[in-house]
Amino acid sequence: MWTLVKQELFKLTRKTSTWVSSFILIGIQFLFAILSRIYPTTFIPANMFESLYFARPFITFYMIAATATIITMEFQYGTMKQVLYRRYSRGQILVSKWLAILVYSLYWYVISTGVTLLLRALLFRHSLSIHQNAGYGDTVFTRGLAISAASFVALWIILSLVFLLANVFSNSVAAVSVGIIGYFGTFIVTQLLTMLIQKWDWAKWNPLTMMLYPSMMARPGYYQTLLNMQSWQMLLGSVVYIAIFLSLGYNVFCRRNM
Amino acid sequence: MSSILSVQNLNKSFGNKHVLHDVSFDIEKGHIVGLVGPNGAGKSTIMKTMLGLFNFQSGTIKVDGQTVTPMKHEALSKVGALVEHPGIYPFLTGWDHLQLFADGDHQLIHIQKIISQLNMDSYIKRKTKGYSLGMKQKLGIALALVNFPELVILDEPMNGLDPESIKDLRDLIISETQQGATFLISSHILSELQRLAQDLLIIDQGRIVETTTMHDLLASQGKQTIMLMTNDDKRARDVLKKARFKMTADPRIEVVATDDSTMPRVLKTLVQANIDILDVSRLEGNLESSLLEVLKQNRIQQKLAMERAE
Ligand SMILES: Nc1ncnc2c1ncn2[C@@H]1O[C@H](COP(=O)(O)OP(=O)(O)O)[C@@H](O)[C@H]1O
Ligand SMILES: [Mg+2]
Repeated sequence: MWTLVKQELFKLTRKTSTWVSSFILIGIQFLFAILSRIYPTTFIPANMFESLYFARPFITFYMIAATATIITMEFQYGTMKQVLYRRYSRGQILVSKWLAILVYSLYWYVISTGVTLLLRALLFRHSLSIHQNAGYGDTVFTRGLAISAASFVALWIILSLVFLLANVFSNSVAAVSVGIIGYFGTFIVTQLLTMLIQKWDWAKWNPLTMMLYPSMMARPGYYQTLLNMQSWQMLLGSVVYIAIFLSLGYNVFCRRNM
Repeated sequence: MSSILSVQNLNKSFGNKHVLHDVSFDIEKGHIVGLVGPNGAGKSTIMKTMLGLFNFQSGTIKVDGQTVTPMKHEALSKVGALVEHPGIYPFLTGWDHLQLFADGDHQLIHIQKIISQLNMDSYIKRKTKGYSLGMKQKLGIALALVNFPELVILDEPMNGLDPESIKDLRDLIISETQQGATFLISSHILSELQRLAQDLLIIDQGRIVETTTMHDLLASQGKQTIMLMTNDDKRARDVLKKARFKMTADPRIEVVATDDSTMPRVLKTLVQANIDILDVSRLEGNLESSLLEVLKQNRIQQKLAMERAE
């Protein structure tokens, strides 16, 4: 299994997009850090720090595309046969792709967190302390970590859905579109969602609510009452949805004609 | 037990389209076996099913006694394959591909050997984005051979190769069999396999219609034709017809030889009729026409069987 994960990672490192995007990500973070330094009232330094200088939306987009293509490129290049007709089972092939994407998403979170800490030290040494109080008993630093952890979980809800769609359609356009709509859709329908939840409590258990997990970590007091949920419930729900989407995708992948 | 691959009563449908009908065959270790049939006969489908890429309705597939299904691939560790078009990542070099699919690092020498046998040295370190069709095909063949497979499955491997590369490939296949490998090679052109395959599986419309050897097929086509030129072709035809020789419909003089005595008897007949013989030649029935003959006979028989059933 480790051999297969290594092979997937090898392919990822040989793609130019991995390196180009890493530079773009760092560029975006620098840009927002500088903006925050120049216009601290619009781009509040503490909030910008917690949001990893706008790295998370970029990572989400990039990972949606990377997840769709790790499956669909094999169909596009006709390499799926070659990957499959070895001694490894189909299940092992798919799981190795999950693990490669897991490692890849961790790579992005580590890079962006590292750059964030570096930028704070470079540009906000005197104006922002990471130990500064951020409310609800958190410091700026621990709040940032909590949001990162929650957004990592939310990212994986989307990615598990993208894995499912890529296996169904073998086409990255469909998978990427639904992934991005899922990500943005949540913010658009939040209001509708909260109305539904106020009327029927069980409606909170839908997957779109789980996408608000990072928002809840950013403003715990506000979202807990709005959604009538605790963060452990969010985590539990998220994990259940990830498991459901991944296992559906697994079944599709194992049954289809290649 | 000396069969490396055994397929029994394999049936495969796509939706309600029945593509493989009770396909059964065995492949002997160390042999080069040709799977021959027209386009759409089911050659690629047989190979893909054997490689666990397709679900199938019934039947068994065993590699060296071990069952293969879409969910059970362990036996495929002994198999190397190239089916339909080679799968190639444009962002990797040829060398990257070979390394990626090679099990273990100790195979560098073997990889190098395959590369030079297929004459790929000059471009193997370049990204495959710029490869020609033939270069990709060769890389696909190299990938099939990279893990010392006991059984190698090649689907129309000569596609896109120039004559020189075809020769390189033929030599490579022969040298691999000398080291104990077994080959199953499909083609819709029988003559490509003429100097390669020992055993033949002839397939048409999803059925194995004949299991034979290249030697027997060549011998069975012994229906040679004798072609003559005379000073009076019209009279010669009449004389030969009267003597009850089997003639083709051709306006030239073509006599179908039924055995070795046909030629002397034809000549004697013409000489006795006082016709001057200007030229005599034997037409070897070629390989393609003998394949077509097998297919035609099979289709006629099927049609008869169907009519009888009605
Ligand atoms: N994925 C598929 N879906 C539906 N029909 C298919 C599929 N693959 C092959 N077929 C059909 O199966 C038959 C055999 O095809 P194939 O095995 O590719 O033939 P060959 O390789 O001998 O040219 C053809 O009639 C083809 O249309
Ligand atoms: Mg084919």
